[in-house]
Amino acid sequence: MSRTLPLSVIVSTCESGATLEEALAAIRASDLPRDSYELIVVDDASRDRSVAIAARYADTVVKLPLRRCGPAYARNRGVELSRGEVVAFVDGDVVIPADTLTGMLAILEARPEVDAVAASRHERPGARNFVSQYWNLLLRFGEERYSSKSAQFPTGCGAVRREVFIAAGMYDEWRFASASLECLELGERLLARGHRVVLSASLQAAQLRRWSALGICSEIWTRSTLIARSLGYSRMNAVAPSDVVFTLSRTLVPGVALLGAMFLAAAFVPSSAPATRALMALACLVFANFPLFRFYARARGVGFAMLSAPVHVLIQIVAATALVKGWILRDVLGDVAPDATTQAYAEVGLEVWPPIPRRR
Amino acid sequence: MSSAGVDAILFQETPSPVTLAIEDGSTQSCYVHDDRFAHSAGKKPFASGPRRTPRKSLIVVLPDNHVVSPDLVSGQLAVEGHYEIDVILACAGQPAGIAALQRRIRDLQVLLAPAGTPTEDLRELAMNQALGDIVTLLSGVPA
Repeated sequence: MSRTLPLSVIVSTCESGATLEEALAAIRASDLPRDSYELIVVDDASRDRSVAIAARYADTVVKLPLRRCGPAYARNRGVELSRGEVVAFVDGDVVIPADTLTGMLAILEARPEVDAVAASRHERPGARNFVSQYWNLLLRFGEERYSSKSAQFPTGCGAVRREVFIAAGMYDEWRFASASLECLELGERLLARGHRVVLSASLQAAQLRRWSALGICSEIWTRSTLIARSLGYSRMNAVAPSDVVFTLSRTLVPGVALLGAMFLAAAFVPSSAPATRALMALACLVFANFPLFRFYARARGVGFAMLSAPVHVLIQIVAATALVKGWILRDVLGDVAPDATTQAYAEVGLEVWPPIPRRR
Repeated sequence: MSSAGVDAILFQETPSPVTLAIEDGSTQSCYVHDDRFAHSAGKKPFASGPRRTPRKSLIVVLPDNHVVSPDLVSGQLAVEGHYEIDVILACAGQPAGIAALQRRIRDLQVLLAPAGTPTEDLRELAMNQALGDIVTLLSGVPA
């Protein structure tokens, strides 16, 4: 069997049983001819029905046993088995319209200077709760405002020429053992090697995952810490300004400066109540984030924008704290790395299945 | 039978029926004929514990009125290039031409599900039997 397929679709999944069926069914419903692509699902040690669901739709299912190694590792294993000239990565909690894969291939075929193409985030996510809607719009805001400067390789749905992906060193499975910034880091390497990544506004993908307030705080905490500790804030801001961490942290400096000025002024007013000061503080942060709240108001109405203000302030505080933590950890412990056992196995070149994460 | 309806698959000494427990309390039976049980004396099962290479399985799915060419399966095995590969044939009803495949593939495991079992359910049933870390699924073509 020769490596002649136009496309390999690689879906990495970990405990995605609730959304995987819909995600895989959407891929199979693609208007791309069935014999022109293969569907590879890599299961990262799920304990739910993910493998059984994958078997219903996939051409190849890879079961990674024992312990979770993260989506970077899982996707790399999928690419190693793939036969397509282009590899598309779709998350197990992302649903794509029928024309997305076709559209990605068409862009890569029509524009040889483009090496990777990303689908933009659908305005309406699968989950209808407020936090999921807020989070989806926050990510969309970054995409719409900054992707023209530099498109980053996406997490949800993106395609890249296979030879370019391999030549760039694939995903960094050594440093990113959990779902976090592996796409951001890969995007930076692609750009550094002179490859071009484009974000297509017409191609969209909708996320099905239901987010909670705790979930987005955790996500922001992880991303911010890793950006500060491992990737470098300024470097990443230059290559991936649309990332959510920069959307959150960009307005912090003017917001805090404004807040400081207001409190200084309030010090000369003897009867200012605590509630008044708190309202003034909130007003400062809302003012600093005005473009974002205007975006929310346009998309979902003024009520939604007002409701999102306290949530936004909360996750801005989380992002700021995590960035500080990341900077401290970088100075104290250095860059992130796998556990000592993994490092020792890698050092001696132990050959096992599944393989020891590879150092780039 | 939907995928959600298949709660468990119970193995007994082959070739006795495999029972599919359905959510509404009823059951359906299918049969596993596994040549590895019949000729297991001289054959090593997949080793457990750390391995240097991944175990591989090949699942061939044959819904009603579908067939598969033995050459296609042999070709796929050659591509896999793996000495010890687990081959499972999942059929709905009693498709013709299994004997030719059994002659060609030494350790073929045959999973017989009731006629009318959807392709997706056959795939899921076969996956439950697959020991491989890397499982390739092939579908037959209409007869």
